[in-house]
Amino acid sequence: MTSGGWREAIVAALKQNDIKLVCHVADTVLAPIIRMLEADSDVHVVTLTREEEGVGLLTGAYMGGIRGALMLQASGFGNILNSLGSLAIPYQIPFPIIMSARGGFLEHNVVQVAWGKSAPAAAELLGMQAFAMTHPEDVPFIATQAMRHAYVSRRPTLLTIETQLSGGKTGG
Amino acid sequence: MASPQLARPERADLTRAIVDLVDDETILVSGIGNASFDLRAIAGERPLNFYMLGSMGQAISIGLGLALAQPERPVVVMEGEGSVLLNMSALATIGMQAPPNLTLVIWDNEQWQITGGQTLSTATSCNLAAVARGCGLASAATPGDVEEFAQSLRFALDAPGPHAIVVKIAPTPSLPPQRDDPVAIKLNFMAALGVEPD
Repeated sequence: MTSGGWREAIVAALKQNDIKLVCHVADTVLAPIIRMLEADSDVHVVTLTREEEGVGLLTGAYMGGIRGALMLQASGFGNILNSLGSLAIPYQIPFPIIMSARGGFLEHNVVQVAWGKSAPAAAELLGMQAFAMTHPEDVPFIATQAMRHAYVSRRPTLLTIETQLSGGKTGG
Repeated sequence: MASPQLARPERADLTRAIVDLVDDETILVSGIGNASFDLRAIAGERPLNFYMLGSMGQAISIGLGLALAQPERPVVVMEGEGSVLLNMSALATIGMQAPPNLTLVIWDNEQWQITGGQTLSTATSCNLAAVARGCGLASAATPGDVEEFAQSLRFALDAPGPHAIVVKIAPTPSLPPQRDDPVAIKLNFMAALGVEPD
């Protein structure tokens, strides 16, 4: 697999799961994936103003018959907690949350550590599952199945792009 | 302070005006608290109503998602000003996405009425209609009574949106909340839309 192959694998997993709406507050790790999706006429990309809006937006879209995904940086996961707990989880609204997990390997900015490291635990406390993507060769399987898991379990599911995979903010 | 507020229209009369004006294909979304209590009391039997139980602020974002997914149907969101202030960033997103079928009705009694009447910025300094216009919504009306409100809503349902209608309302006490099941709300609403849930 090429160095950028894991990003294509995430896009392929979105398409395999019939996801046609992607909303995001971007970071540099997610940016190439968002560019691929913006170039895809089958996917509608929404640039959010703040991450929590994405939970409401995807709830409305899902009930209206369109599957969506939310992309954000770890800090952004901190911004969506109440709407996960009081909207998406109790109403059983499924969507994958694809999170760029700053704060690990090669992190140069100490403020990224708290959410980069605690988002999966916070998700699990809320009753969601979190799946980590660490090795490029595992991404096609993990991404596709973790997204499928959202629909099977009828709730949001967290997929983390670990810094070993992305190289962190400064990596390619 | 109290007397001009008492002369203002009541949420219940305005909510009834919405229910009377929209057709059976129109989606109604109500935010937490009074917006949902009132809609349920007035038109609880209406299949295309979606009631929010928590997630303060998210009703207008839910409305955006529905408007994008169901472009052939009008979507009308009823939400309190406190919730819109809390999720004000969503107005910018709605302006950018510009769904023509979305109308936001904002009830403004200038306070968090339900939590004891704490004064909000719309009482003193914040003009939500100006914010909506500044975010690029197609129109932002400020009707003063039920009749003007009905005119504003007719316009919003006919002309391409997104529209905002900000109404200064009386601080009428809340109806009692009803016990409810979020999954039942979702499933009934999706069944009315003809969408199969996972």
